[in-house]
Amino acid sequence: MSGRASGLNRFPGDFAATLRLRHTIIQAIRQFFNARSYIEVETPLRVPCPCIDIYIDAFPAGASLFLSASPEFHMKRLLRLPLDRIYQITRAFRAEEAGRHHSAEFTMLEWYRTGTDYHGIRQETEELVRSLADTLGQHCAELQFPFPVMTVSELYGAHAGWDPCASWNEDRYFRDWAEIIEPVLPGLGAFFLQDFPAPLAALAQLSINNPQVCQRFELFINGLEIGNAYSELLDYEEHVRRFAESAAVRNKIGKQPYPADAGFLEALRLGLPACGGIAIGVDRLIMALSEIDDIGLVQAFPAERL
Amino acid sequence: MIDTTAIRKNLKLLIDGDPWIIVDFQFVKPGKGQAFTRTKMKNLISGNTMERTYKSGEKLDEARIDENEMVFLYNQGKTYTFMDNTTYEQVELTEENVGDAKNFLVENMNVEVLFFNERPISIEVPNFVNLQIVDCEPATKGDTVSGATKPAKLSTGHTVYVPLFVNNEEWVVIDTRDGSYVERVKK
Repeated sequence: MSGRASGLNRFPGDFAATLRLRHTIIQAIRQFFNARSYIEVETPLRVPCPCIDIYIDAFPAGASLFLSASPEFHMKRLLRLPLDRIYQITRAFRAEEAGRHHSAEFTMLEWYRTGTDYHGIRQETEELVRSLADTLGQHCAELQFPFPVMTVSELYGAHAGWDPCASWNEDRYFRDWAEIIEPVLPGLGAFFLQDFPAPLAALAQLSINNPQVCQRFELFINGLEIGNAYSELLDYEEHVRRFAESAAVRNKIGKQPYPADAGFLEALRLGLPACGGIAIGVDRLIMALSEIDDIGLVQAFPAERL
Repeated sequence: MIDTTAIRKNLKLLIDGDPWIIVDFQFVKPGKGQAFTRTKMKNLISGNTMERTYKSGEKLDEARIDENEMVFLYNQGKTYTFMDNTTYEQVELTEENVGDAKNFLVENMNVEVLFFNERPISIEVPNFVNLQIVDCEPATKGDTVSGATKPAKLSTGHTVYVPLFVNNEEWVVIDTRDGSYVERVKK
Protein backbone atom coordinates (compact mmCIF):
# COMPACT_ATOMS: atom_id res chain seq x y z
CA MET A 1 0.00 0.00 0.00
CA SER A 2 2.93 2.34 -0.33
CA GLY A 3 4.25 4.66 -2.97
CA ARG A 4 2.95 6.01 -6.20
CA ALA A 5 3.49 4.26 -9.51
CA SER A 6 5.15 1.29 -7.80
CA GLY A 7 4.54 -0.85 -10.91
CA LEU A 8 6.96 -1.26 -13.74
CA ASN A 9 5.74 1.92 -15.46
CA ARG A 10 6.99 1.37 -19.00
CA PHE A 11 7.36 5.07 -19.60
CA PRO A 12 8.72 6.62 -16.42
CA GLY A 13 8.29 10.37 -16.55
CA ASP A 14 7.16 10.29 -20.18
CA PHE A 15 3.54 11.33 -19.92
CA ALA A 16 3.11 11.87 -23.69
CA ALA A 17 4.08 8.22 -24.21
CA THR A 18 1.47 7.14 -21.64
CA LEU A 19 -1.21 9.10 -23.51
CA ARG A 20 -0.11 7.52 -26.82
CA LEU A 21 -0.44 4.11 -25.17
CA ARG A 22 -3.90 5.12 -23.93
CA HIS A 23 -4.85 6.08 -27.49
CA THR A 24 -3.53 2.75 -28.85
CA ILE A 25 -5.58 0.76 -26.33
CA ILE A 26 -8.80 2.71 -26.93
CA GLN A 27 -8.48 2.41 -30.72
CA ALA A 28 -7.77 -1.33 -30.34
CA ILE A 29 -10.92 -1.70 -28.23
CA ARG A 30 -12.98 -0.08 -31.00
CA GLN A 31 -11.37 -2.31 -33.65
CA PHE A 32 -12.13 -5.40 -31.56
CA PHE A 33 -15.85 -4.61 -31.35
CA ASN A 34 -16.21 -3.21 -34.88
CA ALA A 35 -14.70 -6.43 -36.24
CA ARG A 36 -17.38 -8.39 -34.33
CA SER A 37 -20.26 -6.42 -35.83
CA TYR A 38 -20.91 -4.44 -32.67
CA ILE A 39 -22.10 -0.89 -33.21
CA GLU A 40 -20.93 1.98 -31.03
CA VAL A 41 -23.78 3.90 -29.39
CA GLU A 42 -24.05 7.07 -27.34
CA THR A 43 -26.33 7.59 -24.35
CA PRO A 44 -26.98 10.65 -22.14
CA LEU A 45 -24.61 11.73 -19.39
CA ARG A 46 -27.39 13.55 -17.51
CA VAL A 47 -29.96 10.95 -16.50
CA PRO A 48 -32.99 10.65 -14.20
CA CYS A 49 -31.64 7.52 -12.47
CA PRO A 50 -27.83 7.23 -12.17
CA CYS A 51 -27.81 3.59 -10.98
CA ILE A 52 -29.53 1.13 -8.66
CA ASP A 53 -26.54 0.73 -6.33
CA ILE A 54 -26.75 1.59 -2.66
CA TYR A 55 -23.05 2.43 -2.41
CA ILE A 56 -22.60 4.53 -5.52
CA ASP A 57 -23.08 8.24 -4.95
CA ALA A 58 -24.01 10.27 -8.02
CA PHE A 59 -23.46 13.96 -8.68
CA PRO A 60 -26.65 16.02 -9.01
CA ALA A 61 -26.79 17.56 -12.50
CA GLY A 62 -29.69 19.99 -12.30
CA ALA A 63 -33.39 19.62 -13.20
CA SER A 64 -33.71 16.49 -10.98
CA LEU A 65 -31.06 14.75 -13.09
CA PHE A 66 -27.78 13.10 -12.12
CA LEU A 67 -24.48 12.56 -13.88
CA SER A 68 -24.54 8.98 -15.10
CA ALA A 69 -22.71 6.40 -12.97
CA SER A 70 -23.01 3.87 -15.81
CA PRO A 71 -24.83 3.87 -19.16
CA GLU A 72 -26.53 0.54 -18.54
CA PHE A 73 -30.22 1.52 -18.38
CA HIS A 74 -30.14 3.42 -21.66
CA MET A 75 -28.00 0.84 -23.42
CA LYS A 76 -30.35 -2.00 -22.51
CA ARG A 77 -33.28 0.02 -23.86
CA LEU A 78 -31.50 0.12 -27.23
CA LEU A 79 -31.46 -3.69 -27.34
CA ARG A 80 -35.23 -3.57 -27.95
CA LEU A 81 -34.94 -1.71 -31.29
CA PRO A 82 -33.61 -4.40 -31.97
CA LEU A 83 -29.86 -3.97 -31.80
CA ASP A 84 -28.17 -7.19 -30.77
CA ARG A 85 -24.57 -6.07 -30.26
CA ILE A 86 -23.80 -2.62 -28.88
CA TYR A 87 -20.84 -1.01 -27.14
CA GLN A 88 -19.93 2.39 -25.81
CA ILE A 89 -16.86 4.17 -24.47
CA THR A 90 -18.14 6.97 -22.28
CA ARG A 91 -17.59 8.96 -19.13
CA ALA A 92 -18.96 7.76 -15.81
CA PHE A 93 -19.13 9.76 -12.58
CA ARG A 94 -19.04 8.63 -8.96
CA ALA A 95 -18.90 11.17 -6.17
CA GLU A 96 -16.66 10.66 -3.14
CA GLU A 97 -14.34 8.24 -4.93
CA ALA A 98 -10.70 9.29 -4.93
CA GLY A 99 -7.50 7.33 -4.49
CA ARG A 100 -4.76 5.56 -6.38
CA HIS A 101 -7.39 3.28 -7.98
CA HIS A 102 -10.38 5.64 -7.94
CA SER A 103 -11.36 8.80 -9.74
CA ALA A 104 -14.72 10.56 -9.50
CA GLU A 105 -14.73 10.95 -13.30
CA PHE A 106 -13.50 8.04 -15.37
CA THR A 107 -13.83 6.34 -18.74
CA MET A 108 -16.07 3.30 -19.00
CA LEU A 109 -16.36 0.70 -21.72
CA GLU A 110 -19.69 -1.06 -21.64
CA TRP A 111 -21.07 -3.66 -24.03
CA TYR A 112 -24.19 -5.82 -24.37
CA ARG A 113 -24.92 -8.84 -26.52
CA THR A 114 -28.26 -10.57 -26.87
CA GLY A 115 -28.62 -14.34 -26.84
CA THR A 116 -25.84 -14.86 -24.32
CA ASP A 117 -25.26 -14.84 -20.55
CA TYR A 118 -22.37 -14.04 -18.24
CA HIS A 119 -20.43 -17.09 -19.43
CA GLY A 120 -20.50 -15.76 -22.99
CA ILE A 121 -19.49 -12.28 -21.82
CA ARG A 122 -16.68 -13.75 -19.71
CA GLN A 123 -15.25 -15.51 -22.75
CA GLU A 124 -15.51 -12.35 -24.84
CA THR A 125 -13.87 -10.29 -22.08
CA GLU A 126 -10.88 -12.61 -22.06
CA GLU A 127 -10.69 -12.42 -25.85
CA LEU A 128 -10.69 -8.62 -25.66
CA VAL A 129 -7.86 -8.54 -23.10
CA ARG A 130 -5.89 -11.08 -25.13
CA SER A 131 -6.29 -9.01 -28.28
CA LEU A 132 -5.17 -5.85 -26.45
CA ALA A 133 -2.15 -7.73 -25.09
CA ASP A 134 -1.31 -8.82 -28.65
CA THR A 135 -1.62 -5.22 -29.87
CA LEU A 136 0.72 -3.92 -27.17
CA GLY A 137 3.21 -6.77 -27.59
CA GLN A 138 6.33 -6.18 -25.51
CA HIS A 139 4.77 -3.09 -23.88
CA CYS A 140 2.11 -5.21 -22.18
CA ALA A 141 2.22 -6.55 -18.63
CA GLU A 142 2.74 -10.31 -18.49
CA LEU A 143 -0.61 -12.10 -18.38
CA GLN A 144 -1.32 -15.82 -18.01
CA PHE A 145 -4.10 -16.99 -20.34
CA PRO A 146 -6.62 -18.46 -19.92
CA PHE A 147 -7.68 -16.52 -16.83
CA PRO A 148 -8.76 -18.83 -14.00
CA VAL A 149 -12.29 -18.56 -12.59
CA MET A 150 -12.84 -18.43 -8.84
CA THR A 151 -16.14 -18.12 -6.98
CA VAL A 152 -16.74 -15.66 -4.15
CA SER A 153 -17.35 -18.65 -1.84
CA GLU A 154 -13.93 -20.05 -2.74
CA LEU A 155 -12.13 -16.72 -2.30
CA TYR A 156 -13.67 -15.94 1.09
CA GLY A 157 -13.37 -19.57 2.18
CA ALA A 158 -9.64 -19.57 1.42
CA HIS A 159 -8.74 -16.21 2.96
CA ALA A 160 -11.49 -15.05 5.35
CA GLY A 161 -12.66 -18.44 6.61
CA TRP A 162 -16.39 -18.08 5.89
CA ASP A 163 -18.86 -18.28 3.02
CA PRO A 164 -20.82 -15.07 2.48
CA CYS A 165 -23.10 -16.82 -0.03
CA ALA A 166 -24.29 -19.34 2.55
CA SER A 167 -24.63 -16.90 5.47
CA TRP A 168 -24.85 -13.30 4.34
CA ASN A 169 -23.47 -10.53 6.54
CA GLU A 170 -23.05 -7.31 4.60
CA ASP A 171 -20.89 -5.35 7.03
CA ARG A 172 -18.60 -8.30 7.61
CA TYR A 173 -18.38 -8.94 3.86
CA PHE A 174 -17.19 -5.43 2.99
CA ARG A 175 -14.90 -5.00 6.02
CA ASP A 176 -13.26 -8.35 5.24
CA TRP A 177 -12.96 -7.21 1.63
CA ALA A 178 -11.06 -4.07 2.69
CA GLU A 179 -8.89 -5.71 5.34
CA ILE A 180 -8.32 -9.27 4.11
CA ILE A 181 -9.38 -9.84 0.50
CA GLU A 182 -8.17 -6.67 -1.23
CA PRO A 183 -4.58 -7.09 0.06
CA VAL A 184 -4.33 -10.65 -1.36
CA LEU A 185 -5.70 -9.78 -4.82
CA PRO A 186 -2.39 -8.54 -6.35
CA GLY A 187 -0.91 -12.01 -5.73
CA LEU A 188 -3.69 -13.68 -7.73
CA GLY A 189 -2.74 -12.21 -11.10
CA ALA A 190 -5.53 -12.02 -13.67
CA PHE A 191 -8.67 -13.97 -12.79
CA PHE A 192 -12.44 -13.88 -12.91
CA LEU A 193 -14.31 -13.74 -9.61
CA GLN A 194 -17.85 -14.98 -10.08
CA ASP A 195 -21.09 -16.10 -8.47
CA PHE A 196 -21.51 -13.24 -6.01
CA PRO A 197 -23.85 -13.52 -3.03
CA ALA A 198 -27.50 -12.97 -4.10
CA PRO A 199 -27.84 -9.73 -2.06
CA LEU A 200 -25.12 -8.26 -4.32
CA ALA A 201 -26.99 -9.13 -7.53
CA ALA A 202 -27.79 -5.51 -8.44
CA LEU A 203 -29.10 -6.12 -11.98
CA ALA A 204 -27.96 -9.72 -12.35
CA GLN A 205 -30.11 -12.84 -12.55
CA LEU A 206 -29.96 -15.24 -9.66
CA SER A 207 -28.37 -18.58 -10.40
CA ILE A 208 -30.95 -21.15 -11.48
CA ASN A 209 -29.34 -23.98 -9.50
CA ASN A 210 -28.48 -21.99 -6.39
CA PRO A 211 -30.54 -18.92 -5.47
CA GLN A 212 -27.92 -17.93 -2.85
CA VAL A 213 -25.68 -16.69 -5.68
CA CYS A 214 -26.19 -14.51 -8.73
CA GLN A 215 -24.88 -14.67 -12.28
CA ARG A 216 -22.34 -11.93 -11.91
CA PHE A 217 -18.57 -11.87 -12.43
CA GLU A 218 -15.78 -9.38 -12.07
CA LEU A 219 -12.39 -9.34 -13.77
CA PHE A 220 -9.34 -8.64 -11.63
CA ILE A 221 -5.84 -8.05 -12.98
CA ASN A 222 -3.01 -7.83 -10.45
CA GLY A 223 -5.22 -6.42 -7.70
CA LEU A 224 -7.23 -4.03 -9.85
CA GLU A 225 -10.98 -4.50 -10.24
CA ILE A 226 -11.33 -4.08 -14.00
CA GLY A 227 -14.92 -4.93 -14.88
CA ASN A 228 -18.30 -6.15 -13.68
CA ALA A 229 -20.69 -8.33 -15.70
CA TYR A 230 -24.12 -9.91 -15.42
CA SER A 231 -26.49 -12.28 -17.00
CA GLU A 232 -28.91 -9.38 -17.22
CA LEU A 233 -32.06 -9.58 -15.13
CA LEU A 234 -35.11 -9.38 -17.43
CA ASP A 235 -37.98 -9.70 -14.96
CA TYR A 236 -40.02 -6.50 -14.68
CA GLU A 237 -41.54 -7.21 -11.25
CA GLU A 238 -38.17 -8.16 -9.79
CA HIS A 239 -36.65 -4.92 -11.09
CA VAL A 240 -39.43 -2.88 -9.50
CA ARG A 241 -38.76 -4.68 -6.23
CA ARG A 242 -34.97 -4.09 -6.42
CA PHE A 243 -35.35 -0.37 -7.23
CA ALA A 244 -37.67 0.01 -4.23
CA GLU A 245 -35.35 -1.94 -1.95
CA SER A 246 -32.31 0.11 -2.98
CA ALA A 247 -34.18 3.37 -2.41
CA ALA A 248 -35.36 2.17 1.02
CA VAL A 249 -31.84 1.22 2.11
CA ARG A 250 -30.36 4.50 0.83
CA ASN A 251 -33.01 6.35 2.75
CA LYS A 252 -32.27 4.36 5.88
CA ILE A 253 -28.52 5.07 5.79
CA GLY A 254 -29.09 8.77 5.22
CA LYS A 255 -28.35 8.92 1.49
CA GLN A 256 -30.61 10.45 -1.13
CA PRO A 257 -32.68 7.63 -2.72
CA TYR A 258 -32.62 7.38 -6.50
CA PRO A 259 -35.90 7.21 -8.41
CA ALA A 260 -36.63 4.02 -10.35
CA ASP A 261 -35.73 4.46 -14.03
CA ALA A 262 -39.17 4.76 -15.66
CA GLY A 263 -37.96 4.45 -19.27
CA PHE A 264 -35.95 1.37 -18.43
CA LEU A 265 -38.85 -0.22 -16.53
CA GLU A 266 -41.14 0.44 -19.49
CA ALA A 267 -38.67 -1.36 -21.80
CA LEU A 268 -38.62 -4.30 -19.36
CA ARG A 269 -42.41 -4.39 -19.23
CA LEU A 270 -42.53 -4.61 -23.02
CA GLY A 271 -39.85 -7.29 -22.91
CA LEU A 272 -36.06 -7.27 -23.24
CA PRO A 273 -34.21 -10.03 -25.09
CA ALA A 274 -32.00 -12.35 -23.03
CA CYS A 275 -28.57 -10.74 -22.86
CA GLY A 276 -25.29 -10.39 -21.06
CA GLY A 277 -23.29 -7.24 -20.52
CA ILE A 278 -20.24 -5.83 -18.84
CA ALA A 279 -18.82 -2.50 -17.71
CA ILE A 280 -15.05 -2.10 -17.78
CA GLY A 281 -13.07 0.75 -16.25
CA VAL A 282 -10.88 1.80 -19.16
CA ASP A 283 -8.40 3.80 -17.03
CA ARG A 284 -7.88 0.77 -14.80
CA LEU A 285 -7.52 -1.54 -17.81
CA ILE A 286 -4.79 0.78 -19.13
CA MET A 287 -3.16 0.77 -15.68
CA ALA A 288 -3.21 -3.04 -15.55
CA LEU A 289 -1.84 -3.53 -19.06
CA SER A 290 0.93 -0.97 -18.60
CA GLU A 291 1.67 -1.68 -14.91
CA ILE A 292 1.09 1.89 -13.81
CA ASP A 293 -0.33 1.75 -10.28
CA ASP A 294 -1.91 5.21 -10.11
CA ILE A 295 -5.03 6.25 -12.00
CA GLY A 296 -3.79 9.86 -11.99
CA LEU A 297 -0.90 8.77 -14.22
CA VAL A 298 -3.08 7.40 -17.04
CA GLN A 299 -5.61 10.26 -17.23
CA ALA A 300 -4.64 13.45 -19.05
CA PHE A 301 -6.23 15.65 -16.37
CA PRO A 302 -6.96 13.84 -13.11
CA ALA A 303 -8.70 15.65 -10.24
CA GLU A 304 -5.46 16.97 -8.76
CA ARG A 305 -4.46 18.60 -12.06
CA LEU A 306 -7.79 20.17 -13.08
CA MET B 1 -13.92 16.21 14.55
CA ILE B 2 -12.92 15.35 10.98
CA ASP B 3 -14.06 12.46 8.82
CA THR B 4 -12.35 9.89 6.62
CA THR B 5 -12.08 12.22 3.61
CA ALA B 6 -9.44 14.17 5.60
CA ILE B 7 -7.11 11.15 5.80
CA ARG B 8 -3.75 11.85 4.20
CA LYS B 9 -0.10 11.11 4.93
CA ASN B 10 1.19 12.90 8.06
CA LEU B 11 -2.31 13.54 9.42
CA LYS B 12 -2.06 13.33 13.21
CA LEU B 13 -4.89 11.58 15.05
CA LEU B 14 -5.80 11.31 18.69
CA ILE B 15 -6.67 7.72 19.58
CA ASP B 16 -7.28 6.66 23.19
CA GLY B 17 -5.38 9.71 24.39
CA ASP B 18 -2.31 9.03 22.27
CA PRO B 19 -1.12 10.99 19.21
CA TRP B 20 -0.71 8.89 16.06
CA ILE B 21 0.55 9.90 12.61
CA ILE B 22 -0.71 8.39 9.33
CA VAL B 23 2.29 7.00 7.46
CA ASP B 24 0.35 5.35 4.61
CA PHE B 25 -3.24 4.91 3.52
CA GLN B 26 -5.31 3.39 0.74
CA PHE B 27 -8.90 4.11 -0.29
CA VAL B 28 -10.59 0.73 -0.84
CA LYS B 29 -13.98 0.48 -2.49
CA PRO B 30 -15.30 -2.39 -4.57
CA GLY B 31 -17.20 -0.92 -7.55
CA LYS B 32 -20.55 -1.71 -5.97
CA GLY B 33 -19.58 -1.97 -2.34
CA GLN B 34 -18.96 -0.05 0.85
CA ALA B 35 -15.94 2.25 0.94
CA PHE B 36 -13.15 2.04 3.52
CA THR B 37 -9.81 3.70 4.06
CA ARG B 38 -7.08 1.37 5.20
CA THR B 39 -4.36 3.15 7.16
CA LYS B 40 -0.98 2.42 8.62
CA MET B 41 -0.05 4.68 11.51
CA LYS B 42 2.73 5.29 13.99
CA ASN B 43 2.40 6.25 17.63
CA LEU B 44 4.25 9.56 17.97
CA ILE B 45 5.34 8.77 21.53
CA SER B 46 6.21 5.07 21.51
CA GLY B 47 7.00 4.68 17.80
CA ASN B 48 4.75 1.58 17.66
CA THR B 49 2.90 1.05 14.39
CA MET B 50 -0.57 -0.34 13.76
CA GLU B 51 -3.01 -0.77 10.90
CA ARG B 52 -6.56 0.48 11.20
CA THR B 53 -9.40 0.42 8.69
CA TYR B 54 -12.02 3.17 8.74
CA LYS B 55 -15.43 2.97 7.13
CA SER B 56 -16.12 6.00 4.91
CA GLY B 57 -17.81 8.77 6.85
CA GLU B 58 -16.45 7.62 10.22
CA LYS B 59 -15.46 10.51 12.49
CA LEU B 60 -11.88 10.97 13.69
CA ASP B 61 -10.22 13.14 16.33
CA GLU B 62 -7.31 15.21 15.14
CA ALA B 63 -4.36 15.41 17.55
CA ARG B 64 -3.21 18.94 18.36
CA ILE B 65 0.51 18.85 17.78
CA ASP B 66 2.62 21.98 18.06
CA GLU B 67 5.78 22.22 15.99
CA ASN B 68 8.74 24.36 16.87
CA GLU B 69 11.90 24.76 14.81
CA MET B 70 14.89 24.02 17.02
CA VAL B 71 18.55 23.32 16.57
CA PHE B 72 20.11 20.03 17.64
CA LEU B 73 22.86 20.74 20.18
CA TYR B 74 24.23 17.38 21.33
CA ASN B 75 23.38 13.99 22.70
CA GLN B 76 24.62 12.36 25.86
CA GLY B 77 23.84 8.70 26.27
CA LYS B 78 20.17 8.32 25.41
CA THR B 79 19.30 12.00 25.83
CA TYR B 80 19.12 14.41 22.89
CA THR B 81 19.15 18.16 23.56
CA PHE B 82 17.60 20.78 21.26
CA MET B 83 17.45 24.56 21.57
CA ASP B 84 15.03 27.22 20.40
CA ASN B 85 17.18 29.73 18.50
CA THR B 86 15.12 32.73 19.52
CA THR B 87 14.30 32.02 23.18
CA TYR B 88 17.40 29.85 23.88
CA GLU B 89 15.05 27.49 25.69
CA GLN B 90 16.37 23.93 25.68
CA VAL B 91 14.41 20.67 25.62
CA GLU B 92 15.52 17.08 26.04
CA LEU B 93 14.17 14.09 24.12
CA THR B 94 14.86 10.41 24.62
CA GLU B 95 16.42 8.19 21.97
CA GLU B 96 13.00 6.52 21.66
CA ASN B 97 11.38 9.92 20.93
CA VAL B 98 13.98 10.77 18.29
CA GLY B 99 13.56 7.37 16.61
CA ASP B 100 15.13 6.72 13.20
CA ALA B 101 15.79 10.46 12.81
CA LYS B 102 18.90 9.95 14.95
CA ASN B 103 20.54 8.30 11.92
CA PHE B 104 20.58 11.68 10.18
CA LEU B 105 21.12 14.11 13.07
CA VAL B 106 24.27 16.20 13.19
CA GLU B 107 25.05 19.03 15.58
CA ASN B 108 23.61 22.43 14.62
CA MET B 109 21.00 20.86 12.29
CA ASN B 110 17.61 22.60 12.29
CA VAL B 111 14.73 20.21 12.96
CA GLU B 112 11.04 20.46 13.87
CA VAL B 113 10.39 19.36 17.44
CA LEU B 114 6.82 18.12 17.93
CA PHE B 115 5.03 18.92 21.19
CA PHE B 116 1.93 17.15 22.49
CA ASN B 117 0.33 18.67 25.61
CA GLU B 118 3.42 20.90 25.81
CA ARG B 119 5.65 17.87 26.11
CA PRO B 120 8.28 17.18 23.39
CA ILE B 121 7.47 13.82 21.82
CA SER B 122 9.22 13.53 18.49
CA ILE B 123 11.25 15.32 15.85
CA GLU B 124 11.05 15.72 12.09
CA VAL B 125 14.29 16.11 10.17
CA PRO B 126 14.33 17.70 6.67
CA ASN B 127 13.59 15.30 3.78
CA PHE B 128 17.08 15.87 2.39
CA VAL B 129 20.19 16.33 4.51
CA ASN B 130 23.90 16.68 3.68
CA LEU B 131 26.07 14.21 5.57
CA GLN B 132 29.74 13.26 5.40
CA ILE B 133 30.97 9.74 4.75
CA VAL B 134 33.50 8.67 7.36
CA ASP B 135 34.17 5.12 6.23
CA CYS B 136 33.85 3.42 2.84
CA GLU B 137 35.92 1.60 0.21
CA PRO B 138 37.90 3.84 -2.16
CA ALA B 139 36.04 4.93 -5.30
CA THR B 140 36.36 2.86 -8.46
CA LYS B 141 36.75 4.99 -11.57
CA GLY B 142 34.41 5.01 -14.48
CA ASP B 143 31.49 2.99 -13.19
CA THR B 144 28.66 5.52 -13.14
CA VAL B 145 25.95 3.42 -14.78
CA SER B 146 25.94 -0.13 -13.43
CA GLY B 147 23.86 0.73 -10.38
CA ALA B 148 26.22 -1.27 -8.15
CA THR B 149 26.54 0.07 -4.61
CA LYS B 150 28.77 -0.30 -1.55
CA PRO B 151 28.16 0.36 2.16
CA ALA B 152 29.26 3.76 3.49
CA LYS B 153 29.28 4.83 7.13
CA LEU B 154 28.04 8.36 7.77
CA SER B 155 29.32 10.75 10.45
CA THR B 156 26.16 9.88 12.41
CA GLY B 157 27.29 6.25 12.60
CA HIS B 158 24.50 5.13 10.27
CA THR B 159 25.38 3.04 7.19
CA VAL B 160 23.86 3.78 3.78
CA TYR B 161 24.48 2.36 0.32
CA VAL B 162 26.21 4.62 -2.22
CA PRO B 163 27.40 4.17 -5.82
CA LEU B 164 30.93 2.84 -6.37
CA PHE B 165 32.27 6.20 -7.60
CA VAL B 166 31.70 7.92 -4.24
CA ASN B 167 34.82 8.48 -2.12
CA ASN B 168 35.51 8.32 1.60
CA GLU B 169 35.14 11.73 3.35
CA GLU B 170 32.87 13.04 0.60
CA TRP B 171 29.60 14.82 1.47
CA VAL B 172 26.44 13.22 0.13
CA VAL B 173 22.72 14.09 0.07
CA ILE B 174 20.56 11.51 1.88
CA ASP B 175 16.77 11.19 1.62
CA THR B 176 15.79 10.80 5.27
CA ARG B 177 12.41 9.25 4.45
CA ASP B 178 13.96 5.99 3.30
CA GLY B 179 17.65 6.51 4.07
CA SER B 180 18.61 6.35 0.40
CA TYR B 181 21.55 8.09 -1.31
CA VAL B 182 20.47 10.91 -3.63
CA GLU B 183 23.65 12.50 -4.99
CA ARG B 184 27.04 13.91 -4.08
CA VAL B 185 27.01 17.39 -2.60
CA LYS B 186 28.20 19.76 -5.31
CA LYS B 187 31.18 21.79 -4.23
